Amino acid sequence: MGANASGYYVRVPVWSVALRLYHWTFALSCITLILTGLYINYPPISTWAEFMPSFSMATMRTWHFAAAFFFMSALAVRFYLYLFGNRYEKIQDCTPVSVRNIKSLFHAIMFYLYMLKEHEARPGHNVLAGTFYCFVVFISLLMIVSGLYLMYPETGWIQSMGNAIFGSQQMARFIHYAMTWFFIFFTMIHVYLCIWNDIFGSEGIISGIFSGRKMLPADAVAKDGTIETE
Amino acid sequence: MKEKELHGKLSLSRRRFLKVCASAAAALGLGSEAVPKIAEAVTSPKRPPVIWLHFMECTGCSESLLRADSPDLATLILDLVSLDYHETLMAAAGHQAEKSLMDSVEANAGKFVLVVEGAVCTGDGGVYCKVAGKTNLETLEEIAPKAGAIIAVGTCATFGGIQAAAPNPTGAVGVRDVIKNKPVVNIAGCPPSPNNFLSTVLYYLTYGRLPALDELGRPKFAYGRKIHDHCERRPHFDEGRFVESFGDEGHKAGYCLYKVGCKGPATFANCPVQRFCDVNWPVGAGHGCIGCTEPGFWDRMSPFYEHLPDVRIPAGDGIYVEAEKIGKWAVAGAAAALAGHAALGVGKKVLDSRKCSSDSGKED
Repeated sequence: MGANASGYYVRVPVWSVALRLYHWTFALSCITLILTGLYINYPPISTWAEFMPSFSMATMRTWHFAAAFFFMSALAVRFYLYLFGNRYEKIQDCTPVSVRNIKSLFHAIMFYLYMLKEHEARPGHNVLAGTFYCFVVFISLLMIVSGLYLMYPETGWIQSMGNAIFGSQQMARFIHYAMTWFFIFFTMIHVYLCIWNDIFGSEGIISGIFSGRKMLPADAVAKDGTIETE
Repeated sequence: MKEKELHGKLSLSRRRFLKVCASAAAALGLGSEAVPKIAEAVTSPKRPPVIWLHFMECTGCSESLLRADSPDLATLILDLVSLDYHETLMAAAGHQAEKSLMDSVEANAGKFVLVVEGAVCTGDGGVYCKVAGKTNLETLEEIAPKAGAIIAVGTCATFGGIQAAAPNPTGAVGVRDVIKNKPVVNIAGCPPSPNNFLSTVLYYLTYGRLPALDELGRPKFAYGRKIHDHCERRPHFDEGRFVESFGDEGHKAGYCLYKVGCKGPATFANCPVQRFCDVNWPVGAGHGCIGCTEPGFWDRMSPFYEHLPDVRIPAGDGIYVEAEKIGKWAVAGAAAALAGHAALGVGKKVLDSRKCSSDSGKED
């Protein structure tokens, strides 16, 4: 668009293999957790047929627990990358902690509201997205804590932790379930905005989460001077 | 001899008496070597004094205790412990009763077992519940420090119970919230299984210390596992066979009560194993668990026929909505917003392209 007078784009490596693995593990485990979780909360079908075993609830729970361990591992990777990842993956790059980032936050809001035409040429997350992802990570922690408490109610330290945070199993159950809707909400908005950004921005962010590379305007990259290109 | 004396005193045969001790040992998860110890403890000439205080309650816990059948608690507790004060059961009344209470407290300081039934009223200085002109709070604060052991019986005495349900006008709390410097054994339940209470007392009499407690002060032998994890209907849960509504085919077939609001998966108690009076228990009779042994029982466990508690909407005064509905509305709202956003984007593109074409038209 406008500012890219030269019309050239350069391919910038942004996301490490670890981050991409985190993203897809998190995404797939989230989908599994949401679907099995909704079943566990309210199994829509009752198998009244007794002539064959179905074991449906036990199977759903097994999938739920398996996915939960992938979810936890993915989150551990994300925490590591927040602290020790590349410059675009670190927490200080995607949260409004500097003047540059606060500008990016407002830029993204204005851009999404169709009030600015210019897409910000920025290798990492835009700060609106980055801040929201931090929030998602925080809610994920809450899901993990409540989930562990529900899954291992009699295990010493988990029980103490759960009792201190939630007070009772029923409260943990309630929070665990209510937060499921947050993940549905987030997934919907996230997928929509990715497609939207793919249309209105030039970066190719959807292919970026597979390839780890973004297409940035050559002029902006040259102006910045610190961005390593391929 | 001893057996004869025992027989005369208790109207219990030795065989029956040992059976009682053995079932108490089994309830506590102790081996057969504990039986003679229990037998010795309960037959020692010095009967341990028990003082039973009633606060804000319905006496259902005492009723439950009276209906205990094995071990034959009614006989055992009345004959083997010295029940010095129990408002429902004692013969004394008025000033005489209150005097015997204080006499026993002074004479047995540091030795007696204090049992509390009912929530403690703390609102407005505790004026909403007075016995003999004294508030519950005063009575408890006076007697509790002198007790050898404190046992809170029932969910009211443990966590506040129904009295503590929102908006809790009387400021009802459990004994643990008032007595903080002494261990309190919580025998939760509405009412609790009498066997859990009796077993705790016998454990204390036998070993001179309290049984292992969980974080909420409940004895682990009785409240160590969730109802769900040793429920007789659990296989139906795993199979995905649920009662859809009371009285349907699934209900008649004894399927899992999960979908009609059973709180077993969130409740710690031994009801499926111990049962009430060795006869039955709610889930066995076809009704879901209502979670009566848990903190926040009432507010957090109601509605009884729903899976999860309702959400109170802060804006509306006293409006409660299902969590499910709030989640669905939030997601629907977001979907509508996204659709609007997309439509705006498409509209803007169309407008822009028209502008462009009209601009280029001018240039031509």
